[in-house]
Amino acid sequence: MKRRAGAMELVGGAMVLSLIAVALLAPWLAPHNPIRAVAPTFGNPAPPSWAFPMGTDELGRDVLSRVIYGARISLTVGVAAMAITMTIGVGIGLVAGFFGGTVDFLLMRFTDVMLTLPGLLLAMAFVSVLRPSLLSILLVIGIVSWTGIARVVRAEALSMAQRDFVLGARALGASSPRLIICHVLPNVMPIIIVMAALGTSGTLLLDASLSFLGLGVPPPTPSWGRMIEQATMYFRVAPWLAAFPGLAIFYAVLAFNLLGYGVLRRRSA
Amino acid sequence: MKCARLASAYRGRAAGAIWMLAAAAMLLAVSGCSREGDGLGLPKGSSVLRLADADDVPTLDPAVGYDTLSWSFEQEIFSTLVRYGDADIELHPDVALSWESSPDATVFTFHLRKDVRFSNGRPVTARDFRYEIERVLSPATRSKGIEYFRSIAGAGDFIAGRTRHVAGIVIPDPYTIVFHLTAPDPLFAHKLAMPFAAAVPREVVERWGHDFSRHVVGSGPFMLKQWIGAERIVLVKNPWYFVKGLPRVDAIVDQIGVGPELGWLKFEAGQIDILGGIPPAEFPYVMSTPRLRRLTLSQTTISTTYLGMNCQMAPFTDVRVRRAFNYAVNKQKLIAVLNGRGVVARGVMPPNLPGYDPGLRGYAYHPARARRLLEQAKIGPDFHPTLWLRADPTTVILAESIQQDLELVGVHLDLKPVAWGPLLEAIRQPHNVELFLSGWEADFPDPENFLGVLLSKQQWGGNNDTFYSNPRVDELLAEAAPMTDLKKRYKLYDQAEKIVVADAPWVFLFHPVSYVIRQPWVHGVVLNPMRPTRFERVWLSPHRE
Repeated sequence: MKRRAGAMELVGGAMVLSLIAVALLAPWLAPHNPIRAVAPTFGNPAPPSWAFPMGTDELGRDVLSRVIYGARISLTVGVAAMAITMTIGVGIGLVAGFFGGTVDFLLMRFTDVMLTLPGLLLAMAFVSVLRPSLLSILLVIGIVSWTGIARVVRAEALSMAQRDFVLGARALGASSPRLIICHVLPNVMPIIIVMAALGTSGTLLLDASLSFLGLGVPPPTPSWGRMIEQATMYFRVAPWLAAFPGLAIFYAVLAFNLLGYGVLRRRSA
Repeated sequence: MKCARLASAYRGRAAGAIWMLAAAAMLLAVSGCSREGDGLGLPKGSSVLRLADADDVPTLDPAVGYDTLSWSFEQEIFSTLVRYGDADIELHPDVALSWESSPDATVFTFHLRKDVRFSNGRPVTARDFRYEIERVLSPATRSKGIEYFRSIAGAGDFIAGRTRHVAGIVIPDPYTIVFHLTAPDPLFAHKLAMPFAAAVPREVVERWGHDFSRHVVGSGPFMLKQWIGAERIVLVKNPWYFVKGLPRVDAIVDQIGVGPELGWLKFEAGQIDILGGIPPAEFPYVMSTPRLRRLTLSQTTISTTYLGMNCQMAPFTDVRVRRAFNYAVNKQKLIAVLNGRGVVARGVMPPNLPGYDPGLRGYAYHPARARRLLEQAKIGPDFHPTLWLRADPTTVILAESIQQDLELVGVHLDLKPVAWGPLLEAIRQPHNVELFLSGWEADFPDPENFLGVLLSKQQWGGNNDTFYSNPRVDELLAEAAPMTDLKKRYKLYDQAEKIVVADAPWVFLFHPVSYVIRQPWVHGVVLNPMRPTRFERVWLSPHRE
């Protein structure tokens, strides 16, 4: 059981590393410039061939190069948005769980309210107001996806706050911020890591959805969601345009999910 | 204004996305419905033409409507003094059997048919036309058509409330109407072909007030039977229509809330007879499938799509930069990206506009020349202009193609897709938007409607969104506008256009070609290059639904 959990997390980790490598090495890995027309297939996308293994799109761009460069945007958004999500979620969860009482009540009711708002719609509303850019996408995804993390962290912090080592430190005169940062946080860290890995796949999907709805990073920057959105116009005649970025999203989401569940299973095993 | 009408042919990206979601849900809901025509109280065996539109019709009040969708229904319900042919842009008699104008184009006289009746049976007279034009001129109506009739003598006094009627509209007998203008206007009869000048029964308007739009009565081939907001509009044959034997179908049912994708599915299922606008997603498939290709009709519209450059904002103040952009953009590629749905533009005027100059050379695709011009203008490698455009998938692809082309000459274009309303707002402010993608569709088949409306200094802050000005062009336009000798008139406009092309306030892109698809059992559909399709001559052969 324990060995299987390890395999899962290893595979997930390797997949995540491969994604990071592709993103970092994009200029060397991509056979063509992802923005320029490299084949005259305007309005008439070309199927995969030896020269262009994933075909070319309606503007004559190489799909393989675009998928490779798309990893940069997707990973940046996925990971950076997760960092924002984590900062907000962990902060609120820790404070609510540690202090309890009225603070807990107010923060958790606020969280409940945020939970009732559908994430995608809220994100669409925010992006429409802010104007799509990399920064606004990051912020918006961070703002709409912290609630689940806050609840989990709060539950952990609530039990930690009553543990002897925390009570002991408090008796020795440690201040609340010190107790939270030096004693509670390190002990809820494992669950945060799991949530972060699992959450990243969520933010990747949310980014893809926003891009699909035309609210993602503006063109010509290649992003997987946008590639699929533009491919819908050619779905009947050129299904590969949607299939390859779709597979890339599938791969990335699977990678982070495997990693997250792997860590989770090992922890509970 | 008119460019907003052009835009209504496109569909917003967000709306499109929401439609994709809605389409699935609606398909489930609709699939259980009974056949169209049921529950309408039509006799068994009636022939019903089934249409579909994404959006509800904004209005059916001819004094108010100024968009393609409203006009497509208004022209079925109402009749005007003169009208365009089904497929041409010549003026034909409608209610007026004949008309004449004074040699100086300041007095226009129309002689009306005596057998025209509203769908409630009441005869139509010249007063009904005067009443509608006065409604349009009345500030309370807030009609966008007011500009077209300001040139009638006495219009100013009427608008100010100083007179009961417009002094320049004279009715010597119930079947004659005479218009006196304050300045020569050879195009005046064309203005009377717009729904703004349709015959409208005063008693019905006064009975319903602002609600007239929902209870319209006109003298056109069809009459309104039912309009359930955001669900459907049903028109039935007007029994009093003055052209015998028309319309050929008994009713038109327009289903509202059917987006392009759902519309396509319903068309393929045989539930829609004519689909105006094949969704971009399906276009390549339709054209590569002979069975479907045969069912399509196409028409080059009298419109021009262009990339506007703000001539008051550096570096676009420099004509070399503007010319460089013209040489840098590959227009053939844009047409290819549109799967052939366009004709390359060489200047301002579309090829099927009277007065079009076939000798105009325009700008060929020549990136090397573009680079040279940019170097001469001292444009550095850090030039990052922003192109504003409508956020709709097709427009974004076109913009990306332009972005690619400019990248090759060292210009890094940023794209700013926004909704149509904010785009129009933004480009009307001086010193605000340096580059934008826009288009213009003719209201009348005359060069004035392009050159005068879009490029004269008078229209700064109006429709001249590039804030272009050349005193010589303004002189030529002023000279041409009142000219009734068409040959001389067009010559002057052609001269003006040549100067405009040399000054290059736009990148002249293309003239769009519109497509519709109809079922094999639908006959008599023709497209007009400037107006929505008319349905009174359309007929259906027996078929299984």
